[in-house]
Amino acid sequence: MSVGVSAASSPAPVHRHVAARATERFVRRVGRGIISVSQQTGGILVLLFKILRRFFPPDIDYFELKRNLYKMGNRSLFIVVLTSVFVGAIMVVQASAYVQQFSAYAFVGWGAGFVILRELGPILIALMFSGRVGANNTAELGTMVVTEQIDGLRALAIDPISYLIVPRFLAMILMLFALTVYGDIVALLGAAGFGQLMLGIEVRVFFHGVTTLLGPWDLWIGLIKSAVFGLIIALSSCYYGLVVRGGAPGVGRAVNSSVVASAVGIFVSDYFLTFLID
Amino acid sequence: MAAAARDTGVGSRTESGRVRRFVEELGARVVDGARAARQFYSIVIRTFYYSFRGRGEKGAVWRAMYQIGNRSLFFLTAVMGFIGMIMVYHSCVQVNRITGDLHLVGATFLQIVVRDFAASIGAAMIATRVGAGIAAEIGSMVVTDQVDALRMCAAEPIDYLIVPRFKASVVMTTVLIVWSMAVMVVVGMLTAWGMFGVNPRIFWNTSMVDYRDLTMGLSKCVAFGAAIPIVSGYCGLTTFGGAEGVGWATTRAVVWSIFATILLNFVLSTVGFYVFWA
Amino acid sequence: MIRFCGVCKSFGGKRVLDNVDLAIRRGEVFFLIGPSGVGKSVLIKHLIGLLRPDAGEIYLDEREISRLTERQYFDVRRRCGMVFQHSTLFDSLTCLENVALPIRKHRRLRRKAALAEALRRLEQVHMEEFAPVYPAALGDGMRKRVAIARTLTMEPEFVLFDEPTTGLDPISARRVDALIRELADRLKVTCVVVSHDLTSIFTVADRIAMLYQGRVRLLGTPDEFRASTDPVVRQFITGSAEGPIEV
Repeated sequence: MSVGVSAASSPAPVHRHVAARATERFVRRVGRGIISVSQQTGGILVLLFKILRRFFPPDIDYFELKRNLYKMGNRSLFIVVLTSVFVGAIMVVQASAYVQQFSAYAFVGWGAGFVILRELGPILIALMFSGRVGANNTAELGTMVVTEQIDGLRALAIDPISYLIVPRFLAMILMLFALTVYGDIVALLGAAGFGQLMLGIEVRVFFHGVTTLLGPWDLWIGLIKSAVFGLIIALSSCYYGLVVRGGAPGVGRAVNSSVVASAVGIFVSDYFLTFLID
Repeated sequence: MAAAARDTGVGSRTESGRVRRFVEELGARVVDGARAARQFYSIVIRTFYYSFRGRGEKGAVWRAMYQIGNRSLFFLTAVMGFIGMIMVYHSCVQVNRITGDLHLVGATFLQIVVRDFAASIGAAMIATRVGAGIAAEIGSMVVTDQVDALRMCAAEPIDYLIVPRFKASVVMTTVLIVWSMAVMVVVGMLTAWGMFGVNPRIFWNTSMVDYRDLTMGLSKCVAFGAAIPIVSGYCGLTTFGGAEGVGWATTRAVVWSIFATILLNFVLSTVGFYVFWA
Repeated sequence: MIRFCGVCKSFGGKRVLDNVDLAIRRGEVFFLIGPSGVGKSVLIKHLIGLLRPDAGEIYLDEREISRLTERQYFDVRRRCGMVFQHSTLFDSLTCLENVALPIRKHRRLRRKAALAEALRRLEQVHMEEFAPVYPAALGDGMRKRVAIARTLTMEPEFVLFDEPTTGLDPISARRVDALIRELADRLKVTCVVVSHDLTSIFTVADRIAMLYQGRVRLLGTPDEFRASTDPVVRQFITGSAEGPIEV
């Protein structure tokens, strides 16, 4: 990284030097980024393997599982319900212009239901869940790492993965699944209610559109997606919590990383699932 | 969080004790919520006030704009590309199922992207990156007492910290979302062409996009761009709990910014519907 | 009997333990002292497999334990417990549940029986009235005693203490000292204590080893330490700021 000796001579070689150094720095940054991403992906996969190994034979602390289910449901129910109501309402508003144009009142149920069940419902609920429960989990695990509680577990000859991680992992997947079902229902109700209010579409007509033009497969796709999203959020939040370094600021950084990684994972997997399943 | 210190005495196990505890918790939450809402409202008012009457540090707005663009451009482009692909794929499959005539798919896609989707989804992504960043920066300033130091120097924190980011975000969010519109259209066009054989020239059909859609889309960009820094700034300024609290502030910022965009989307869509289309 | 033979450990190029040789006898209270960061905690963590040595062997009652798998260490950890510096009680469980956790996991008792046993253990450390309280609400000294109770549930033959009195007020510190002495005298537990609390060292210890620059500087009884003319030892036990030790 030496300064160009030819600085005194014509400007062209200097520019080439600067350009070369800038490219070198760029390549280094990209390289470091790639290495870091593969390291994290690898670590996450190793964690997944360790978790799955504890299912055969089942080595799960049921007390912890129940406690986590209760805690996670409690944390996110409010915001999921709130979000779902508005999402349902927005769908109707968006569809309303077309509905008026084409007088396709019967199709509002179908349009809103399709988007909510298949895409928006699972994705938005997963994002909110990741922001509330995923982040909380990362912070808790990270703080336990920093205050040596994980080492404390190992010193008591208790396997941290079985006792801490597996219950949280399961609880997050189950909870997100349940919340998505719940949120879908709330969103559809919100959409139906709003359809009645704004467009005068009877709730009965709305749900007729939902049930006749959509099949159970549309519901299942959304639920399969939410299970996959739950897996991603669970893995991401546990991984970043466990690898915290650097005290309390490290915990803060880990929380941020886990939410971003979950969001990226959700979108990428949504993309692949959409094409794979249909 | 302070539940451990609360007195769970004799009355908590009886039926009336449980009801009383529930009402107490509910009441406490409502009071907390009202207080938070009042604080938030105050920050909103003061942000607008200082935008016009503030002292304006030189170059702060430009720096903030650069940061916002830098943080989110790549992420946004990637995600919007994915989503554009998914949307066009879904639309084409469904339309094929119903009418088999794909020549209006491009037109409706363009319209809905401009009117709503680019803004709402783009804003959610920007909230994840930019909102988290703002909350983290301001939050760590709070826990290291720098914000108090600012007040000692007679510099109003809102003027100094939030207003530049506010101005920058309004502009940059609009720019970024317009960029995402372009990305979504291009990717959608390629998807329709590659997978369904729709001629790009037929896809690029602007006949359905009119001044009403443009107004809606742009007003959403501005509104979301205004909301994200204010909500994130609020979460940053109300950080507590040391360095770990910064991690909390960032996730609160992401969750509530996304929720704010959903809420604003709902309000604007409804108002827009009654103004333009009813 | 615990033996360290030629143990070496480096962290990122820095040699923390450099050929450490040490033998600790059964039933004694053994203190490991030295300036901050010299590697005392690092050394005892090797005994329960939280760290592995780069070179050398470690023997716990004639069994070499430095190269076991994590699963095999569970046996070792049942015989050799550790009380960490920051007590490491689990914030989401009450004191009683904290103490009951290893009982539930290792003795397969039902929940009620485990909680009853846990209460008995808390009585041993005189903390039974704080059973339903969460650790966050307790003072440091009290948390330390609950942590000791938790470690004792596994009825270990050896207990490691990592700076048990650091950060405690003088009264709590003396109570912890008394507990450690009681463990060795009544329950015949071998206690290995990492400390730089001079009062603890000279009231409770049977033998002391001082670590300095990765090696054992001096090994002997408290009287031998007081009589030592080694400048490093003198500086440490008189607690003076002047001297050869750089911190």
